Amino acid sequence: MYTIQNREIIKVLVADDDERVIECYREAFGSEEPTRQMRALSALTAELFDTTRELEDQPKFEIVTCNQGADAIQAAAMARDEGEPFDVVILDVRMPPGIDGVEAGYQIRKHDPDVEIVFVSGNSDMPIEEMQRRVPPPVRLHCFHKPLSFVQLAEDVVKMVRAQ
Amino acid sequence: MTLVILISAFMAVSYTVLQLVIAPAFDDLDIAAARSDLHRAESALRNDIENLEAITADWGPWDDMYAYTTGQYPGFESSNLNRPTLANLGLDLLVVYAAEGRFLWGHYRADQKSVSMNTLNALIPNDTDIAALAVHDENSYRTAGYVRTVHGPMIISSRAILRSDETGPIEGAVVMGQFLNEAHLAKHRERTDVDIVLQPADASTAPIETIELQAEVVSARKPLPDIAGRPFLVLQTNTPREISSLGTHTINVTMLFLFIAGALAAGFMWFTLRHNILRPIGKLSAYIADIRSSGDLSRKLSMHHHDEIGVLGKQFDTLVTEVHNARQALLDQSFKAGKADTAAEVLHNIRNAMTPMINGIDRVRKSFNVTKNLRIAESTKQIADPNCPPERKQKFLDYIVASFEHIENTGNDAMADLEIVASQAKQVEGILSDQERFATVAPVVENVMVDDVLGEAANIIPRENPKTVELTMAGGLEKFRVRAHRIGLLQVMGNLILNAYESIKRAGMPAGQISLTACSEMVDDTAMIRVIVRDNGGGFNKETESVIFRRGFTSKSESEFTGLGLHWCANAVASMGGKISASSEGEGCGAEFHVLLPAAQGG
Repeated sequence: MYTIQNREIIKVLVADDDERVIECYREAFGSEEPTRQMRALSALTAELFDTTRELEDQPKFEIVTCNQGADAIQAAAMARDEGEPFDVVILDVRMPPGIDGVEAGYQIRKHDPDVEIVFVSGNSDMPIEEMQRRVPPPVRLHCFHKPLSFVQLAEDVVKMVRAQ
Repeated sequence: MTLVILISAFMAVSYTVLQLVIAPAFDDLDIAAARSDLHRAESALRNDIENLEAITADWGPWDDMYAYTTGQYPGFESSNLNRPTLANLGLDLLVVYAAEGRFLWGHYRADQKSVSMNTLNALIPNDTDIAALAVHDENSYRTAGYVRTVHGPMIISSRAILRSDETGPIEGAVVMGQFLNEAHLAKHRERTDVDIVLQPADASTAPIETIELQAEVVSARKPLPDIAGRPFLVLQTNTPREISSLGTHTINVTMLFLFIAGALAAGFMWFTLRHNILRPIGKLSAYIADIRSSGDLSRKLSMHHHDEIGVLGKQFDTLVTEVHNARQALLDQSFKAGKADTAAEVLHNIRNAMTPMINGIDRVRKSFNVTKNLRIAESTKQIADPNCPPERKQKFLDYIVASFEHIENTGNDAMADLEIVASQAKQVEGILSDQERFATVAPVVENVMVDDVLGEAANIIPRENPKTVELTMAGGLEKFRVRAHRIGLLQVMGNLILNAYESIKRAGMPAGQISLTACSEMVDDTAMIRVIVRDNGGGFNKETESVIFRRGFTSKSESEFTGLGLHWCANAVASMGGKISASSEGEGCGAEFHVLLPAAQGG
């Protein structure tokens, strides 16, 4: 996490093979381009009411998405090389035909032990204990099952990062 | 049959080997014996000649004889040359020649008569032979061999007459002979134990020794030339084929022994094979065929042999049991695995479809909170404040207008989101519809042993200590086989048995009884098997009986509900072409559940 104009920026990497789900992540973690009407309302709000502090309290997300585990490993490596590693990596467990999310998480965790890894699974066939065994150590590791509320997930991600 | 062919082949090979290898060896031995006899006979005749030569060697170089032939000892003839001399010397002929072949004295015995002669031609008509006998010189002072006489063949020896110190000159020849007549040969036969025959030679006589194998004897022949080297006699010996005869007899006895031994061995092998191998293997084959036709892997061969076949039978029993257990496990596992895979797939699809739906609902929820961050009330308050500057009032008015526009847009977005959510809900419904379509697929039916299924289903009853519920299975259940989906039927029967158990426990019966029986019956010309689960539990009233198989019906509390419902059981039995029914005499009187299923062929 880094800060721009007193506002927290949380870097999130998402890998999921379902484009519809990726879109949900973008909506939950992305920054929508405000419409003209929204910009006017925001300007009036800022002028008539002091909202600077409220804005500072709301973190901003920087999201990178991909569809395969191997792409996620590559994206994490690039960010690390650039000196701005991801704060949170969210991985779908099953992403055929490539490696699964747990293997991708293991590769990312090897080079970045501080990253928060979140596994999101549409199946219940892999218990959290198995994920913890495959991606040691068993800390900064989270598991959510679909269907899930992405808004809630975004709030949880903020809590994870701020708890570090 | 195979054994007979094998034994016959063995006999044929043995006979062929004996005839082709052993019998010729006996012939060779016979031939060797015949050759030996021939040589013995020849040796005997040669000994005769040598003996005769020895006598002439005594008489030829003798001073008295010398003096006699030169005319210096006239008394020699009266004192030495007389008839007894021939008898004493065992001679048939004695002739003395003076020098230059001049006949001096001669005598021979023939046909029991003694005959005096003036010339040897009276006995030996051939002058050439006589010349060789009567005249000798330094190069040929003796002659011996066979000659032809008018009384038959004779062995003869002639020796030159010299002084006793064997100095000459040669003054004549002394000739001695013995007839080779039947009496002479008889002595040799007796002495040598060989059948000796002398035959005259002719132009066709082979110049070498020959052997002829005849049926009873082996004839060996050898030509005997006369003293001039001309073909004269054939010495023949006839040797009985005793070795071949003994060999043939031995072969015949051996063949007989082999035949008897072979027959006994074949009989013993046939009995042993039949008793120890063929019959057990036949039993094993019938057992395998029975399993194949019935599909019943619970049957046991129960072979009590203690040999390898018995071990094979026991191992086969073990194998079948393991296959039976493996099939049960596999069926259960495949059923569960199939269900698990299907459930996982359905869950995965539904979860993926619901994920954007929930996201849409989140957005709609967020939309409903649109007014939370808007400060419309505060703005109207500022507008109403007389101290608020008009320009600022206009700004607040603009803010209120913009806020309502934002609310309107958010509302429109929320409506769009709701439409998306509705669309995604349809996707979920589509997935469920797909699954419903698969749910209507008819299960695979097979021949199922009733006792097998009931025995397995009975395991569903919890183990108790002490035991309060006794489950009994009627005898003879093993003869009933039904056409059913094995796992489905197993679940139905397990459910009925578990219901009976729980009914007994709910009723607080101190000695619960569950009995499992079956019987066959004809329903609309179709052979059916009726399986009955009877308990002495709580039972039910008539009102319950009418609804007991309805969807959602249960007499248990929610926490007690552990198995499949009776509604599912009824559907499962119906899908197998059967019927299920229940009856009770009333509450507290126990209950009976009847499952009627099509009988398997022969079940």
